[in-house]
This record gives sequence, structure tokens and C-alpha cells, in this order.
Amino acid sequence: MKQPKETMRLIRRSPYQALAAALAMSLTFFISSIFILLIIGGQIVLNYIEQRPQVIAFFKDNATESQISELSSKVQATGLTTGVKYVSKEEALAIYRERNKNDPLLLESVTADFLPASIDISVKKASDIQNITNIVQGDPQVERVITPQNLVEQLVKWTNTIRIGGIAFVSTLLAVSFLIIIMVIGMRIALRRDEIAIMNLVGATKWYISRPFFIEGALYGVVGASIATFLVYSLLLFYSPNIQNFLGPIQVFPISPLFFVYLWLAEIIAAATIGIVGAAIALFRYLRIE
Amino acid sequence: MIEFVSVTKKYPSGAMALDEVNLKIEAGEFVFVVGPSGAGKSTLLKLITREILPTSGQILFNGEDILKIPKNKVHVLRRRIGTVFQDFKLLLTKTVFENVAVPLEVLGVKESEVEKEVSAVLDKVGLLEKADSFPLQLSGGEVQRTSIARAIISKPQVLLADEPTGDLDPKNSLEVIKLIEKINHEDKTTVFMATHNAQIVNHFKKRVITLQKGKIVKDEKEGRYETT
Repeated sequence: MKQPKETMRLIRRSPYQALAAALAMSLTFFISSIFILLIIGGQIVLNYIEQRPQVIAFFKDNATESQISELSSKVQATGLTTGVKYVSKEEALAIYRERNKNDPLLLESVTADFLPASIDISVKKASDIQNITNIVQGDPQVERVITPQNLVEQLVKWTNTIRIGGIAFVSTLLAVSFLIIIMVIGMRIALRRDEIAIMNLVGATKWYISRPFFIEGALYGVVGASIATFLVYSLLLFYSPNIQNFLGPIQVFPISPLFFVYLWLAEIIAAATIGIVGAAIALFRYLRIE
Repeated sequence: MIEFVSVTKKYPSGAMALDEVNLKIEAGEFVFVVGPSGAGKSTLLKLITREILPTSGQILFNGEDILKIPKNKVHVLRRRIGTVFQDFKLLLTKTVFENVAVPLEVLGVKESEVEKEVSAVLDKVGLLEKADSFPLQLSGGEVQRTSIARAIISKPQVLLADEPTGDLDPKNSLEVIKLIEKINHEDKTTVFMATHNAQIVNHFKKRVITLQKGKIVKDEKEGRYETT
């Protein structure tokens, strides 16, 4: 096949246009990859927090086990929870001791009587936290309720903002890349006007004339997406200790290399499609042959 | 081989290029179309390759109405026709060899075959030693011979030549027409040539169709071109 060679000849003839198209694609897919990772990371953090006990109800000292059990059953009966765990005064003391084992001062003279019994409630959906909180707060034996409601709400809000902002930002970049591809291929068609006219006259099919432009469009996509994935992978690899440090107990690393292979494949398919569709529009608009 | 039946071509500007033209060209014929500028000679040739469409009438190629050929099949018609232009229409960034090879590449011919065919045609037009030269390194006559080589490389049934000597001096003009006559004689390729070079037309004593203001005013075997 001579046509891939022909495509390379075209690219060499005006390398700056080719560079502009490939860089626009790289930037678009680099930003897309960052947003994809942010959305996935946000979801991992959200899942982690949602799996933690989201409502902790502390009981008064005089609350009996049957009263606690009654409230536990009442909460479970709502069907909104994934788990309700009773933590007795003794268990609370054991947890306290474990957490402060390196600080003997805090352990001195602390007995189970100092610590309240509690129930740790995990809910199915973050939006149900408020309902469960209302139920436990209404119980006369409950002294205090702790809930990370605000944190979850903030996280959901942030994740949604990233998602919407990401879609808007990436869509704009995609549109820019798309227009650049149309412009570059349009220029190529104009540059090859004479050649196209001759090929048309000697009996070339429309497909034969169009093919190098489709190959070129797809090539910009493949090169752009590959550069973007490589950059994101390298950056993530470099900054993974810092990110893990920032996230603390939330385990996100190591990310499977297979994930990046899938990301790369998905991006080159998307980018090549943009390149091919851009080339098709340019050809439809500027290629005037019969 | 080629037949025009009541063909009229009126351009959107209102100019009447051809007016009820009827003509028939047999396979293997060598035909000159003569007439002053604007007589409709180039229009006649462009209609055969379907570069333009007539306003009315019928154009038959081997008995097939070329106006009925679907758009996506026009290339099949064009592969049966070779065209030579006054301004050569060569690609300046390609060598002589590469320019001549274009029609074969379009046909998807294997590279080894292309090499063989192009060399043979370049030998025929006397340009084998110039195969690696670029058009700008050639003389006018050599450029036109390259253009002829490209036109005949795919062994067309018809060779259309639109003022092929228009940009050439008398000596080169004569050589180019002799070459086209050789192709007509040896390969039995039908030649349909538009020209206003009276000297050439009168020298070769072929069929001459004279056009004036879009109408055929004369059609003679071994005709002459009177430019009075």
C-alpha cells in the first residue's frame, strides 16, 4: 500500500499543521484522562466513606441493653441500613486503648465507666443519613449522635461538580480539537487541489482520493491519545506517594497497568473517531470532485 | 465509439458553448477539432470525460449513455480515457516516473508491475533517461511528452488532447503530434484533439471538425483548417 507513505509525505510537507493537530488532541485527551481519574478517585473516596459507620449514637450511662437492642431493631427495620453494630462500654474501652496505646498518659485511670456504649450504623445511601439521624436522636436513651453527613454531602457535591465541570471542559476541548482537525485537513485538501484534480481525471475513486485524509485524521487521534495516556501514567507514577499520603487510609494504589491499557485503548478509539469524523466533514466541505 | 446526439451546453453565465452538436467518432480514428477561441472545443472534450454535463442531448461512449453513469461509477469511464492538456497538469513535486505512474497507482497495480509499465512507456515517448527528473527540469516538449506518457500508461481506448501544442514551439509541437499519431497508429487508440494550430492540422491530413460559436460548420476527412 502506497497510501500510508502518501500520508506521511503530506505530513512532512507541512509539519506545523500536523503538530498543531496532534498537540490539540494530546491536550484534550490529557485533560480528559485527568478528569476521568479524578472522577474515579472521588468515587473511591466516597465509597470508602460510605462503607464506614456513618451514624454513631452514644447512649446515656443508664441505658439498658434491651433499650439499645430495641433502638437497633427499630433502625434496622427502616431498611435503609447496611449494618448496625453494638459497641459496649468494654469494647469502647478496648478500642480506646488500641488507639492510644502509644500514649500511656491517656490510658491512666480510664475505665469502661467513662466511655458510653454506642451503636455504629452504616446506611445504604448517603442521602439516608439524615433520616437515620432523626430516628436515633428522637430516642430518650441517646445522649449524642455523631454523623459525617456534612463531609459526605461535600464529597458528593465535589464529585458532581468535577463530573459536570469535566464534561463541560472536555467537551469544549473536544470541539476545539475537532475544528482544528477540520481546518488542517481542509488546508491539506486545498494544498493538493491540483493533484486531486489529476487523480480524479485519471479515474481515481472518491475513496482512493479521500483515504490519505482519513488516515491522517486517525493518525492525529492515535498519536494525541497515546501521548496523553503516557503523560498521565508517568505523572501518576511519579506523584503516587504524595497522593497516597494525602488520602491516608483510603487505598487507591497500586493502579493496575491493565487499567491504563484500557484507558489508552478507549482514548485512541475515541480520538481516532474524532480524527476520522473531522476528516470526513472537511472532505464533505472542501473536496469538490465527481 | 463516441457519439454526440443533439448536444447543447449553455453555461450558467448564459454563454452558449455548444449548440445542437451531432457527431460520431469511430474507434481508431484521429480527429482534429478546430476553431477559434471560445468555439466550444474544450467544452466538447470536457463533456466526454464528464467533467461537465450538457444542458441537453446525449453522449454515447461505446454505445453507453455517459450521462446515465452513476456518480460513483464515473471513474470507470475515465479509466478508458487518457487526457493531455495544454498546461500539462503535471505534479511539480513528483518526478517524471512518479507522474506517469499515477494512473497505475490509482488502479492499484503492483509496484513491480508499475516499474515495468512506466519504463516501457517512458521508452516509447523517449524519456527513459529523464525518469528521475522533475517537471521543472524539463523542456516544454519533454513536459508534454511526460503528460502523454501519463495519458497512455493505462492503455486507454481514447486519447483526448486539449491544445497539446498551445505552449510549445513549432519544432516541439510537430514532435508531440507525431508521437500522438504514433500512438494512434500502433496502439489503435482513438485520438480526439482540440487545436487552433492550422500548420499542424494541415500537415497531418486527418479528419477535421470545425466549430464556430458552438456549432459544427465543417466535418471533412483529410480536412484543412482555414484561419482566414
